[in-house]
Amino acid sequence: MDASTHQTSNTQTENAGPAISVDGVSFSYAGSSMTGEPVLERVTLDVRRGERLGILGPNGGGKSTLLKILLGVLKPTEGRVRIFGVSPDEARRGRMIGYLPQRVTAELRFPLRVMDTVLQPLAVRQPAWKRIGGTALARASACLEMVGARRLAEKQIGSLSGGQMQRVLIARAIAAGPRVLLLDEPTVGIDVEGQRRFGEMLDTVRTEEGITVVVVSHELATIAATSDRVACLRRTLHFHDTPRGLTPDVLREVFRHDLAVLEGHTHDCAHEHGHADGGCGCGPDSGLGVDGGPA
Amino acid sequence: MKTFDYLFEPVNAGLFWPGVAAALIVALLCAPLSLYVVLKKMAFIGQGVSHAAFGGVGLALYVAALAGTGGWSGWHQLAVLVFAAAAGLGISVLSKRQGTDTAIGIVLAVCMAVGFELYRLAAGVAARTPGVAGPPGIEDVLFGSVLNVTTGGAVATGVAAMLVLGSLWFVRRPLTSWAFDEATAGSLGIRGERMRALLLLMLSVAVVATMQIAGVVLATAMLIIPGVIGLSWGRTIRGAVVWSVVSAVLGVVVGLLVTFELGVQPGPSVVLVMVGLMLIGSGIRRATGARSA
Repeated sequence: MDASTHQTSNTQTENAGPAISVDGVSFSYAGSSMTGEPVLERVTLDVRRGERLGILGPNGGGKSTLLKILLGVLKPTEGRVRIFGVSPDEARRGRMIGYLPQRVTAELRFPLRVMDTVLQPLAVRQPAWKRIGGTALARASACLEMVGARRLAEKQIGSLSGGQMQRVLIARAIAAGPRVLLLDEPTVGIDVEGQRRFGEMLDTVRTEEGITVVVVSHELATIAATSDRVACLRRTLHFHDTPRGLTPDVLREVFRHDLAVLEGHTHDCAHEHGHADGGCGCGPDSGLGVDGGPA
Repeated sequence: MKTFDYLFEPVNAGLFWPGVAAALIVALLCAPLSLYVVLKKMAFIGQGVSHAAFGGVGLALYVAALAGTGGWSGWHQLAVLVFAAAAGLGISVLSKRQGTDTAIGIVLAVCMAVGFELYRLAAGVAARTPGVAGPPGIEDVLFGSVLNVTTGGAVATGVAAMLVLGSLWFVRRPLTSWAFDEATAGSLGIRGERMRALLLLMLSVAVVATMQIAGVVLATAMLIIPGVIGLSWGRTIRGAVVWSVVSAVLGVVVGLLVTFELGVQPGPSVVLVMVGLMLIGSGIRRATGARSA
């Protein structure tokens, strides 16, 4: 599919099929299949070209597992995934996927300037004997501009704040022009206003790049700020529509509004995100505007 | 000065130069590699590989003694390299089941034990068989020696260094991207497993080359300390490479001076000089808050 196809009308785009199709996907980890509890069970969903899909669900609900399946890191035990018509492995090899992991996994002691970091996806495509050209530099600058981090270009990567780092890593993820951007819990530890700004930045990237975005989060505010459509996941798909359809009943069903589960849930948060008090603004009790979709 | 006598007196003609040349080549080889070893936290794996290589040394010596030749040659070096690379890959495979710490602990101990027994057997065969040269002294194997490096050994070290540094230059971009962020390397079309295996192979070659000078026990220091210095002082990869090379070469030159003057093993003196450079650099940085290049 060439670049011009990106700019076809909506109808034509619909006809060309979804960006991502997940068809009847089930997954069990080697240990969990013994207990008969799959992490994902017959999940079917489509992500339209150029849309922002938010995958919402409690910790342990299978969101990250689904993301790893989209990345091709895990293989579904049943069902099929297609990314622009090809398997996740082929999509990854074809550099069609940009990815930002949940935590900053980058080695920040690296003596790299921000610009060098954003250039990496472009540099690895160059033969070893060729210098990095002006086109690559211009593209890296444009990506930094898009995420509002142009002024950081000459800074050391290790000297950035958490928010700056995230923007730079998104610029890096989109530098080589992937067609899908997968973000795993991108706003953990960011306040509601920060999440709104993050959503705006993501919208700019989506609009300018024509890229399809999938955001995985257990925080309702993140999903509301970053998504056109929402998929609620707790082992099976509970909801798949615009955020306006997210009623308290749906959320109760997904997050299981009972004390025992919530205790387990907050315990998971403390374990996964290092929240000493266990609270990380997730679940229906968070007061993050259950009915409030993006404006 | 004893150094001058050793290197320039006609009576010693050529005796020490191969060792000095090999030591300088090893400094140039280890310095850029050490940046990646430190960043990818492979220092302990390097330690495992170098100790495991002692098993290869024992095996090569024993086979040579049985074959009736004894002594040490370039073929032994190659055998040790194959053994070390196999041990490195063995550690990688075992790591997936047992965890890296345990895997290194097991491989290191087994290879050291086997290596020592084979070394002892080789020495026994050489003592009983007339015309078979005995193995090098155990101190030389463990802590290095300038005298045991032959001209052939120095040339082999040079060829190995050129191969490793050439490969490093060729893969520098994907290797740096992978080392910077392993989790996202796949999405850039980089095969992480291949990068790790390649780095491990380059590390094994560097360890075996360094063992001649610094010995089994201290070889990995050459693959760690210049990297730490380079990463403290460099602002770019290029700057870090320059700082690591400067510190490694300075460490070898001053370390060999100490070796010649005091008549001690080169391994400990090179390592202690490099640690001294690291501490001085760290003191200067603390005092001035400097970071350059």
